[in-house]
Amino acid sequence: MATEADTTGIGRQKEGETESRIFRLQAWLRQTDFFSHLVLAVVTFIVLLPLLWIISTSFKDRLEFSTNSAALIPSSFSLVNYLYMFEAIQLLPIYMRNSFILAGGVTLIQVFCSALAGYAFARMRFWGRDYIFIAIIVSMFVPRAGGLMALYELMTFLKLRNSLFGLILLFAAGLPAAIFIMRQAFLAIPQEVEESAFIDGASWWQTFWRIALPLATGAMVIIGTLAFVGVWSDYILTYTMIDRDAQLTISVGIKKVLATSYESALSPRFRNQFAGEAADATMLLFSALPVMIIYALMQKWFMRGLTEGAIKF
Amino acid sequence: MTTQSDTGGGLFAAVRRYRQSSGSQVSYRKNNLLGYLFIAPAMALYLTFNVWPIFRGIAMAFTDYRFVYPDTRWDFNGFSNFVKMVGDRRALDAAGISLKYLAFVAPAMILIALALAVMISKVKRGAAFYRWVVYLPAVLPVAVIFLMFGEMYGFQFGFINTVLRGWGFENPPNWLGDRGLALPAIGAAHIWMIFGFPTLLFLIGIYNIGAEMYEAASLDGANGWHQFRYLTAPLLKPTFALIVVLNLPLFGVVEPMLILNNGGPANSTRTLGLYLYQQAFEVGDLRLGYAAAISLVIGLFSALIAGLIFRWSRQD
Repeated sequence: MATEADTTGIGRQKEGETESRIFRLQAWLRQTDFFSHLVLAVVTFIVLLPLLWIISTSFKDRLEFSTNSAALIPSSFSLVNYLYMFEAIQLLPIYMRNSFILAGGVTLIQVFCSALAGYAFARMRFWGRDYIFIAIIVSMFVPRAGGLMALYELMTFLKLRNSLFGLILLFAAGLPAAIFIMRQAFLAIPQEVEESAFIDGASWWQTFWRIALPLATGAMVIIGTLAFVGVWSDYILTYTMIDRDAQLTISVGIKKVLATSYESALSPRFRNQFAGEAADATMLLFSALPVMIIYALMQKWFMRGLTEGAIKF
Repeated sequence: MTTQSDTGGGLFAAVRRYRQSSGSQVSYRKNNLLGYLFIAPAMALYLTFNVWPIFRGIAMAFTDYRFVYPDTRWDFNGFSNFVKMVGDRRALDAAGISLKYLAFVAPAMILIALALAVMISKVKRGAAFYRWVVYLPAVLPVAVIFLMFGEMYGFQFGFINTVLRGWGFENPPNWLGDRGLALPAIGAAHIWMIFGFPTLLFLIGIYNIGAEMYEAASLDGANGWHQFRYLTAPLLKPTFALIVVLNLPLFGVVEPMLILNNGGPANSTRTLGLYLYQQAFEVGDLRLGYAAAISLVIGLFSALIAGLIFRWSRQD
């Protein structure tokens, strides 16, 4: 009797132990969001995979690439692609310089114009102010049917085709979201600060430049970052408006350089040393490097910009 | 907005009195002409390069403007561009390809974005990192993305085919050279590029629902799927509608094809956007008028769908 009771008791105890173990496992899984993390890790891998592959490919020489093209960590590292890129591609520095001029110019103009306009819409009183502001915001949502064709005609008419300056103006004109963000930023500043400046005899310009603008630095950083990255990454507008190498940007010119790399792979200096695909990977990586660095450094501002931009809906 | 200036409180009245006594020109209340000066640079740029093209683009759709003949700029020809389009076999084929592209890319991407947003909202640690990862592709130059995927899809040494061969597939497909595979392959790369922004929008929507709602729901015994079905999904309806509308321009997609293969192989990826781009800037006498008309049709189609979606999102 007693033994029987004991055994059943032990059995029950064991059962209870395994049950509680399963329960604890379940609780642990839930508490650590195991499955969400698992799926998100897979997604992270998929997002990073092409970039990792490009990075590792850029370090592969001809032999390594042809035998080991899928490896994410090359078995031997080589800098031949980088040497080739910096020595043989003469257009690359020109494209790069143009990209910096274009993106930098647009950033400066956009920050300046949107700050001025945002301040006026937030603080000044003039006839039609709110109508103009609403019209700007609404016009953002009107589809630009035929817009590219109309811009082509306009830029030709203004003799701004094949001109970096013209392209800067064209990109800088995409202002509505920037004006909106600046206006919000100025509205968030307590008005007393500016009023006390007025009491001290400051003019509108001085109040704007010395008092309000420094308090809206965050919004300006957001606008500048988004503008720089957006312009750097553009393809179709630049491709349509520029067809001379001397004015082309890296994001468009990269394709021309890649196409030639297969031919120059046969040039004596680098013959048989590298694979065309690997050299292309190097150049693709190089041309995206500035925006990747900015994105890594400015992630907080990106998220704020997207959130603030999205809240308006 | 400027309500404080309307209330005429103590400090503000003091400012005004001070200004009047000191003869200052500046006032919050008067029609401040300086305001026009402040908005002038922005307005000049915006009106020239953004507002004018709206009207000119619509007008151009009703002309026979061919760029190599500048005199044809204002040659209005009524609706003949649109009549021509209906009989244009290549335009109709291209429209079908565009429609296929939109019907494949948009739903797949929105589902992925929604699932990811729900998962990112659930994790207690690492959400900031996932948000960063998810938006990373969106900042890369579009040409870099598609050329990079072009190499990934490469027949001989591309990453995908090398891996497939390693797994024992003797004859992996030629992704971008196959008439049936090129469009889905480009679409997949496109999803990779743009899924981040909708994910973040969904995420903002979920964060706005608030933890209390979810706590209340789980107290009532709703978990997992039920929470999603009866709480998250209905409250995300406006976000969903917004995301669909924001992605309608996929119907006019042109950049991936322009960058990768110019509509090949055998025109199997020549979308309507690419067709109009070629008509306007690449072939024959550069028919800007005809291209503008196609563009207008794309715009009207998008506007129609957007209207329907917004109406649907207002219903309960």
